Amino acid sequence: MPLTFTAAGKTVKIVKVKGKDDTVRFLQNLGFVEGEPVAVISENAGGLIVRIKDGRVAISKEMACRILVA
Amino acid sequence: MNIRIALAGNPNSGKTTLFNALTGSNQYTGNWPGVTVEKKEGKLKGYGKGETTVTVVDLPGIYSLSPYTLEEVVSRKYLLEEKPEAIVNIVDGTNLERNLYLTTQLKETGIPMVTAVNMMDLVRKNKEELNLAQMEKDLGCPVVEISALKEEGIDRLIETAVSVAKKAEPSHRLVFDEKLESVISAIEKKLGGLLPQNNPDWYAIKVFERDEKVVEQLCLTASLKQEIDAYISSVEKEYDDDSESIITSARYHQIETMIHDCYVKRNRQSDSISDRIDRVVTNRILALPIFALVMFLVYYVSVTTVGSILTDFVNDTLFGEWILPSASAALESIGCAEWLNGLVVEGIIGGVGAVLGFVPQIFVLYLFLAVLEDCGYMARIAFIMDRIFRRFGLSGKSFIPMLIGTGCGVPAIMASRTIEQDRDRRMTIMTTTFIPCSAKLPIIALIAGALFDGAAWVAPSAYFTGIVAIVTSGIILKKTRLFAGDPSPFVMELPDYHIPSVKNVFHSVWERGSSFVKKAGTIILLSTIIVWFMQAFGFENGVFTMVEDMNNSILAMAGNCIAWIFTPLGWGDWKAAAAAVTGLVAKENVVGTFGVLYGFGEVAEDGMELWGTLSSEFTAFSGFSFLVFNLLCAPCFAAMGAIAREMNSAMWFWIAIGYQTLLAYACSLCIYQVGTWITTGVFTLGTVIAGIAIIGFIYLLIRPERKVA
Repeated sequence: MPLTFTAAGKTVKIVKVKGKDDTVRFLQNLGFVEGEPVAVISENAGGLIVRIKDGRVAISKEMACRILVA
Repeated sequence: MNIRIALAGNPNSGKTTLFNALTGSNQYTGNWPGVTVEKKEGKLKGYGKGETTVTVVDLPGIYSLSPYTLEEVVSRKYLLEEKPEAIVNIVDGTNLERNLYLTTQLKETGIPMVTAVNMMDLVRKNKEELNLAQMEKDLGCPVVEISALKEEGIDRLIETAVSVAKKAEPSHRLVFDEKLESVISAIEKKLGGLLPQNNPDWYAIKVFERDEKVVEQLCLTASLKQEIDAYISSVEKEYDDDSESIITSARYHQIETMIHDCYVKRNRQSDSISDRIDRVVTNRILALPIFALVMFLVYYVSVTTVGSILTDFVNDTLFGEWILPSASAALESIGCAEWLNGLVVEGIIGGVGAVLGFVPQIFVLYLFLAVLEDCGYMARIAFIMDRIFRRFGLSGKSFIPMLIGTGCGVPAIMASRTIEQDRDRRMTIMTTTFIPCSAKLPIIALIAGALFDGAAWVAPSAYFTGIVAIVTSGIILKKTRLFAGDPSPFVMELPDYHIPSVKNVFHSVWERGSSFVKKAGTIILLSTIIVWFMQAFGFENGVFTMVEDMNNSILAMAGNCIAWIFTPLGWGDWKAAAAAVTGLVAKENVVGTFGVLYGFGEVAEDGMELWGTLSSEFTAFSGFSFLVFNLLCAPCFAAMGAIAREMNSAMWFWIAIGYQTLLAYACSLCIYQVGTWITTGVFTLGTVIAGIAIIGFIYLLIRPERKVA
């Protein structure tokens, strides 16, 4: 399911980052890679704040839709 | 010999703080990714002169050597093309895994390298352990632990970096697993002699990643390119992943092994203070009210309350009561020529003094901006505003330049480099100077004081005008062919919040504030002297002389030549025209010029009775039209220079300046014509043109969006 479905406070594992463009590559550089745990810290109407590796990253909803997690 | 050492690392990992510690310089730092957008050079402490000199180069932060934003391109270019003698790879110890991702790539460049693990004080505070000896072994390069902020370990780092650079032993890349290694050597074999001999692996990996720049550089023949493409595709099929992701995963795998070896991580509290703050300030409901409150406080305090109390003191008491009369008296007592007295008192003190009066306000404003930037809220603002800005075709990241733009337009325009997409970036550059910068504050105060009785709504209305101009420009421009398309999706790292460091804040306030003072002492001083001479001399009765009537001066002649342009805007008087033009040199000049032309008391809010002359030449609407024109039109030369540099294209520069000036003209026209028509009932050709402009504007706003293919 897309990352947008994850409730705040939950940790999930990344299955795949969909698409092939610069933004996807940028996400991978930030640590959004297959098998990586990602925790949703908070969400607001525009997007999510997540913890990946030891960093905190804000992503918009449309981007979060492209991150598939399990 | 001169050794160049480049500082490379992730955004916000403390490169500039380290740079300052290494060079003893005072570069500006902040707590959000993207503070440094241009490389900066400095001499290493203790290596400024003598046999070996060492230059330290501070590069913008990068997450990888595959650049995403413009400032990342600056770093990659420097490392790959300039080939510094050594790299100091600065790594944030509290976020090792992600930071080492870049390290693995830097090692591939072959440039001799030292890894500096920064923020070791925090790592220790978290009771985490790092085995440096093991890390050195795994990485294959010296590792030094430091705290750039507390200046710990700096000497050892300097020593190590210099010795690594002198030894000039190329660094070696980390080895992937067997399967991937065989792929890389297969590519190398196919490319054969085409690869540069000093570092074939790096090129082979980049070719595998399909890095456009490198592929272009290698000038492959069509058939070879096809063969390689087919090979990469077959590997991709085997891995069921694209080539870039294969390499990315492999790199992270290397790091995991290494971290496992040398790093004892404690289970951190999942809920840090920063996370808890974020839950409130980026909250679905609270985010915007909190943001609005913060902004209101910043500008209310700095512009209206504390700032204006201090500014009033400087203007009324310091200049008005002390300096001005005593200077005049002193010059008279020494029997100074009348014209010189005029130049000093009316020209220099009147012009420059009127500008200097705003120094306290500007310092207070910069103080707030520095705190905002240093505490970590800046990145959140971008995130919060993204949702709203997206509707106007801008990205949330456009908001950071705009906020910086309330201080000065030049760094604001440079800050737009963090925006990924060219069209969003260009639009931000075009619109960011609509926000009144600190140099426009005097104009706002002048108009508010002289024409609106110091009404409290004038200053907020100036900011409001700026914001509306940005929003409507966003909507209008997005519907043109040049800017069509959605802004790229928002992704931004959020730093931890921290209490702003007193040193950083004061340094940044001083740096920016003092440049305002310096400007008053140089450009503005020179301009006011020129303006004074131009208004003091001219042709009277056919002879060039010091004029009795200012209307005969050279400045009046020059002003009258262009004043007709502004007649439809309600201020076709040569004085206002001259002031607007001198504003192109620096916006403070608008007030400085008025200071010379009307006398200091006029512009410095020096008591009601003195406003007479200025207000008799303006109506409320022509005054507001003058204000709006100066807020929106082409910025000062310094900012125009920044626009030209950042646009890097003559066409885009003229589009930006042209659009700004056209918008300013149209808005001022509508304000004056429509305002005058409503209040006095005078209906002229100007009113018709204003009406057409308004209809045209509304059409541009609501016309259907262009579909992008």
